[in-house]
Amino acid sequence: MDVVDNLNAVRNGELSRRAFTRSLLAAGVGLMTAPLLPRRAMASNPDEATIFTWGGYDIADFYPSYIEKNGVPPNFSIFGGTEEALTKMRGGFVVDAAHPCNAGLKRWKQSGLFQPIDTSRLSNWGDVMPELVNMAENVDDQGTWMAPFDWGGTSITYRTDLFELEGEESWDMLWDQRYAGRLGSLGSGGDAWWCGAIKAGVPFKDIATDDAFERISAVMREQRPLIRLYSDDTTTLEQALASGEMVAAMTWNSSAVALQYDEVPVKFAKPKEGQLTWVCGIMLHKDAPNVDKAYEMIDAMLSPAAGQFMIGEYGYGHSNARAFDEFDDETLVGLGLSKNPADILGAGHFMIPQDQNWESRMNETFEMIKAGF
Amino acid sequence: MADVQMSSAPSARSQRPSGLRSMLYKSETARGYLLLSPALLVMVVGMLIPFTILIAMSFWTRDGFDFDTTMSMTNYQTAMDVPIYNAFLARSFWISGITTVATVLLCYPMAYYVAFHVHRNKMLWIILMTLPFWTSYLLRVFSWKVILGYEGVINSGLLGLGLIDAPLEFLLYSQTAVIITLAHAWAAFAILPMYVSLEKIDRSLLEAAADLGDGPARRFFRITLPLSIPGVISATFLIFIPTTGDYITPALVGGPNSPMIGNLIQLQFGAVNNWPMGAALSVILTLWIAAVGLVFLFVTRKSQESVV
Amino acid sequence: MSELSYIKRPNRGLKIYAAAFLTVLYVPILFIPLFSFNDSLYVKFPLSGFTFQWYIELWERSAVWDSLGNSMRVGVAVSIISTILGTLAARAITRSRLPGQNAIVAFVMLPLVIPGIIFGVSLLILLSRLGVSLSLYTVTLGHLVVCLPFAVATLLPRFEGFDKSMEEASADLGENGWFTFWRVTFPLVLPGVIASLLLTFTISFDEFIMAFFLTGTDATLPMFIWTQLRFPQNFPSVLALASIILLVSFLLVFVALWVGRLGLIEPEESQS
Repeated sequence: MDVVDNLNAVRNGELSRRAFTRSLLAAGVGLMTAPLLPRRAMASNPDEATIFTWGGYDIADFYPSYIEKNGVPPNFSIFGGTEEALTKMRGGFVVDAAHPCNAGLKRWKQSGLFQPIDTSRLSNWGDVMPELVNMAENVDDQGTWMAPFDWGGTSITYRTDLFELEGEESWDMLWDQRYAGRLGSLGSGGDAWWCGAIKAGVPFKDIATDDAFERISAVMREQRPLIRLYSDDTTTLEQALASGEMVAAMTWNSSAVALQYDEVPVKFAKPKEGQLTWVCGIMLHKDAPNVDKAYEMIDAMLSPAAGQFMIGEYGYGHSNARAFDEFDDETLVGLGLSKNPADILGAGHFMIPQDQNWESRMNETFEMIKAGF
Repeated sequence: MADVQMSSAPSARSQRPSGLRSMLYKSETARGYLLLSPALLVMVVGMLIPFTILIAMSFWTRDGFDFDTTMSMTNYQTAMDVPIYNAFLARSFWISGITTVATVLLCYPMAYYVAFHVHRNKMLWIILMTLPFWTSYLLRVFSWKVILGYEGVINSGLLGLGLIDAPLEFLLYSQTAVIITLAHAWAAFAILPMYVSLEKIDRSLLEAAADLGDGPARRFFRITLPLSIPGVISATFLIFIPTTGDYITPALVGGPNSPMIGNLIQLQFGAVNNWPMGAALSVILTLWIAAVGLVFLFVTRKSQESVV
Repeated sequence: MSELSYIKRPNRGLKIYAAAFLTVLYVPILFIPLFSFNDSLYVKFPLSGFTFQWYIELWERSAVWDSLGNSMRVGVAVSIISTILGTLAARAITRSRLPGQNAIVAFVMLPLVIPGIIFGVSLLILLSRLGVSLSLYTVTLGHLVVCLPFAVATLLPRFEGFDKSMEEASADLGENGWFTFWRVTFPLVLPGVIASLLLTFTISFDEFIMAFFLTGTDATLPMFIWTQLRFPQNFPSVLALASIILLVSFLLVFVALWVGRLGLIEPEESQS
């Protein structure tokens, strides 16, 4: 490399310091432009739509028709959780669309950052399952706020060979004293608190009451000493289950799918009290700079092709009924899904959107409990 | 950083005293300030102003999505009354403290070795010691997760050797893991100042002591160690301060019992959504660090005086 | 270095300690390349086969390269700006008798003694109150605040460490301020400048906390890695990228420290 030669030259007094500096400057300039030049083709293109979404959704397979039409995928911006996403957008971060989940629907609407979706502009809208469209808070006199995209369940993934079931599968499994220190859970209140509500027998419609807070807090405090790790990182939980470090953990259905694919003997429980079910979807930002492209993008995500990828590769349900046609019943049941989302969603407990005050209070309480207080 | 000496330069000869620039040419001070101004501007905009707003915000309260800007001590009151906050502060100082002591103790011999026992290619050694620091912090923490994990290097090694029957669970997701990871991550910050300090020690002092009959241990304790104290102090500060505010390491390898004050602050700006509280906690943390720093400086200055 | 045999007496225990120390220091770092060639999605022992697939996959993932490009752009901008500002500041501090200069130096060094999270949080608050949207520019500002003290700290000893009479001689010979700076001062502080450039670049490149709070659409590399920690499918290619960066930064730092010498070694020991 030039610099080394120049170094030697300086050492030997051949190259004056000035010339050396110049050569370094050239190298520095080279360094600066190098990453820019070839990447220009792949860099963020201001003309394309931008979606603010979870990590793992930033891949071309979810946007087939968009890429067909525009030649490139949309721009992606990634968040680790809905809280961080909303905070950022409230801080002035503008995107075309974002990907929250139904539990936050009310809060996201209340933030005033989004506009209703004109569903007539979406060619795939007719195939979107009505049960998902009509979830609470979604359709009101202003229109439809969220275009449902993916859905699934949250339950206990447990090692069939390590966990000795006493009776039926139940949420009590995660409160089982026999396995203290070998249980795990997703760390965000957005999942854990609701599971706690199911365990405490608090109906979701009452979840905002003080009584609910007391009962759920009690239940979570009981669980805390048994938990080895609260993690927002599904990989960690999956690996812990695979190695036997944990015998059971509260996860999304995709984790069970991934582990079964790796031939780890796990099962995604169907607890007698019911699973927790969720739906996530796309919301359109009110100041979206590329509205037309945004609609193309949403339409692409709602297409059967995207759905097939979602079901087959991620194990999550998709909102387009036609996406399920590719799969037989057995596969779907194995994934914890069904051609009829109403079956799953109805059998489980569907999260009811809450407002920001509840969310903050819940998170604050849960974080304190996690901290041991 | 310790040991920066201010020297006052003799004023430069005045140059061509022509026109508007004469004042600049004549006044060294004005020129000096002019040169400093861009740096100062950055620091004022990037540090002073934000910090002022931080302090202001700590007196506000949360109100739905916005802030209630009437000044009140609510946040500070809550921080004092609700036990979680003090517990987190205490825990943070405890973890940082142990990390600092461990790192300084473990790195001192290394710094000593390079200063006194390496005679060729010192530069190489310095590079070697600091190189790990130039890798991604996140990935270094993640590496420790691999080493300390249930199926990690240590456990599979010990299992393979038959020394244990079941993997050691306390290695990961514990305060131990946090301390080990932090110590490893900040080792370079400990070594460099201590090395510089040790390197500066006048060898002729040691020579004189030897001539006067002191053995190696006495020479170390009476000359080397006291003279290297400035480096040890720098190292202590350079490790203690950043580690108190760290939140990545506890989040990745700490488990439920290790979150530190940094995690709590970050939560206020995230899930808990109480920015004023986060601001108040940040101010409290800064004050505590300043206090601990002053106490430490005071104590070491006193002990240095008594050595002489 | 004087020939004092008693000091040169080798201490075996210390040597072993040094070797063990370096091993413990490096082993965690070397795991990154190790697992980047491992044929498994999961990072755990025992190792599966050897594969290049992650490197190939890396080449195709544009998000990775985007974030790398972002980190490089921010890093270069931050290193150049902070070195220029640091040079000016160091010169001002060491050459002019400025009233209150101790306070100024302490002020500039403040970021070294305050945890990064406090700066990240304060800047976030400021920017959100001003309605400035988050972007790579805000990240750059955050990094500037963090890197400037390092630049000044690296350059100050250099400016102090050389003979001012050279500058005076130049002035006596009739050269104006700029000329003196370029032909006399600058070449002598060049090692410090290079060291500062590389130091600040590396700090900015790896900086996570400020980026975490201040990133907009375009992620820097550490931010990107953070979001990828959740997803097993993507992680090995991140390890591959990290290994490449490891190699490049090793080379860069080697060059930097060799050229810069950080003022740590006695002049008699240097080669040129």
